[in-house]
Amino acid sequence: MASLPELQARFAAALRGDPGPIEHDVVGDGLEAAGRLDIYRNNARAVFEGALERTYPVLRRRVGEDYFRQLAHGYRERFPSRSGDLHGVGEHFARYLAETESDSGYAWLAELAELEWACECAFVAAHEQPVGPQALASLTQDELGLARLRLQPSLRCVASSFPVLDVWRANQPEADGRAVDLARGGQCVLVSCGVDGLELALVSAAALAFTRQLQAGVPLGDAVDESGLDLAELPGVLGMLFSGGLFTAVIGPSLESDSK
Amino acid sequence: MSSSPTANSSRPVPAGAGIGLRSAHHEALVRERPAVGWIEVHTENYFHDGGPHLAALERAREAYPLSLHGVGMGLGSADPLDRAHVARVARAIERFEPALVSEHACWGSHAGENFNDLLPLPYTDEAVVHLADRVAEVQDLLGRQILIENLSCYLSYSSSRLTEWEFLTAVVERAGCGLLLDVNNAYVNSVNVGLDAKAFIDGLPAGAVQEIHLAGHTRRQVGERTILLDDHGSRVPEAVWRLYEYAIRRFGAAPTVIEWDTNLPDLSVLADEAARAQRRLDGVRGLAA
Repeated sequence: MASLPELQARFAAALRGDPGPIEHDVVGDGLEAAGRLDIYRNNARAVFEGALERTYPVLRRRVGEDYFRQLAHGYRERFPSRSGDLHGVGEHFARYLAETESDSGYAWLAELAELEWACECAFVAAHEQPVGPQALASLTQDELGLARLRLQPSLRCVASSFPVLDVWRANQPEADGRAVDLARGGQCVLVSCGVDGLELALVSAAALAFTRQLQAGVPLGDAVDESGLDLAELPGVLGMLFSGGLFTAVIGPSLESDSK
Repeated sequence: MSSSPTANSSRPVPAGAGIGLRSAHHEALVRERPAVGWIEVHTENYFHDGGPHLAALERAREAYPLSLHGVGMGLGSADPLDRAHVARVARAIERFEPALVSEHACWGSHAGENFNDLLPLPYTDEAVVHLADRVAEVQDLLGRQILIENLSCYLSYSSSRLTEWEFLTAVVERAGCGLLLDVNNAYVNSVNVGLDAKAFIDGLPAGAVQEIHLAGHTRRQVGERTILLDDHGSRVPEAVWRLYEYAIRRFGAAPTVIEWDTNLPDLSVLADEAARAQRRLDGVRGLAA
């Protein structure tokens, strides 16, 4: 009689496509063991595909059911689930697509997947109480450049060489799914999630780089310098981030505590 | 996201009928406030730091007693216990303060790969010890008793030496856990693996059954054999209602939840199914009065 670990190893082999070792451990009763194990194998595949589909609905709509299933099959072989929580199943999908689709006509899929993964992460992130621009009021001009601005935990920065935001918008459930000219060029996107749901904003490359600097904890002045953001663009970018409720604290150079 | 206790925190689940709440019904639940006794959610869907779904459950639990039902712990896996998963369950318990917490008598992972399914255990003394000790370990980590649910099965093992009810009884006795009786699963198993469903109900320790699940299933012909798929995608069939009546005559009125996971209908359909369960529970109370 197989021990519990042996039995589970044989069952797992069957789920991976080799039913041979466990067939003698299974009672037939009118349906051979392979048929019974098929139910479990199909279920495991369907559960994985379903979780991936819920994370990547735009990509699924763009490539169609058959090709998505093919991608999911290859992805699962390379990156099987490692958790009892299915929400993380799609974590490596963009990387997988970058490796497997880069030489095909679908090189943009990896970048679309990166955007959808950013949406997934933003959707389940904590939401902190935002601060308004008055949080800057107490700072002098010198202090302003040294201040660190903390951003919402949900905020994600995505830079692509294809117009992935246009593709994403054209393939929302209420949209008509019209084709997007992929030669239109890249886009930079800020993804966040507030109380009303996901927000995706198109920004300039410099604004995206600036936001990334702030996310890394770089002081405001250095963030402008490092990102190459035109000073004339700064008020507009800060205004957009404030109005989106994306700042949660302003930390002045002489203050270790948050200024709210 | 606030996790502070409220006036409704840890409200006991009543011995009445409730529904399994899925995210597609979040808004409708808050808007329509259906007359159901309580709600149950899948624990893993509320593992995260925030977001609209957590906010929705915060609102829902203000109106209804809550149960957290886990589908991903795979307690019977020979793989090491996923303590990170248990820690996330503990966090969800701290945040939502449910009245009941439940898992399944199953395994789910091998060599680190998780199949995200409820896979059957052999009914052996070895499996009793393994599962019961895992349950006890999780109860220690969570600091509370959990309920263990009987599975729906598509196969049985030639190595099983115990009946399913003997297996579950032994786990309850060794681990000190409670039972969640899924009546649909018992019915499905009667067709799929020849379980005597009434003997199963008769054989369970009555004091351990603290919750009951009801759901629909799909009939499929596989070669010469009829197999019932436990897909939670339809109304509770009459045969399952009859078995439920048998169960509550034995166990008394127990908190009962209508599960529905595929082909999700309007919330009103779930509430209607819950009302059907409630009428049966009221009937049992009437007999006892």
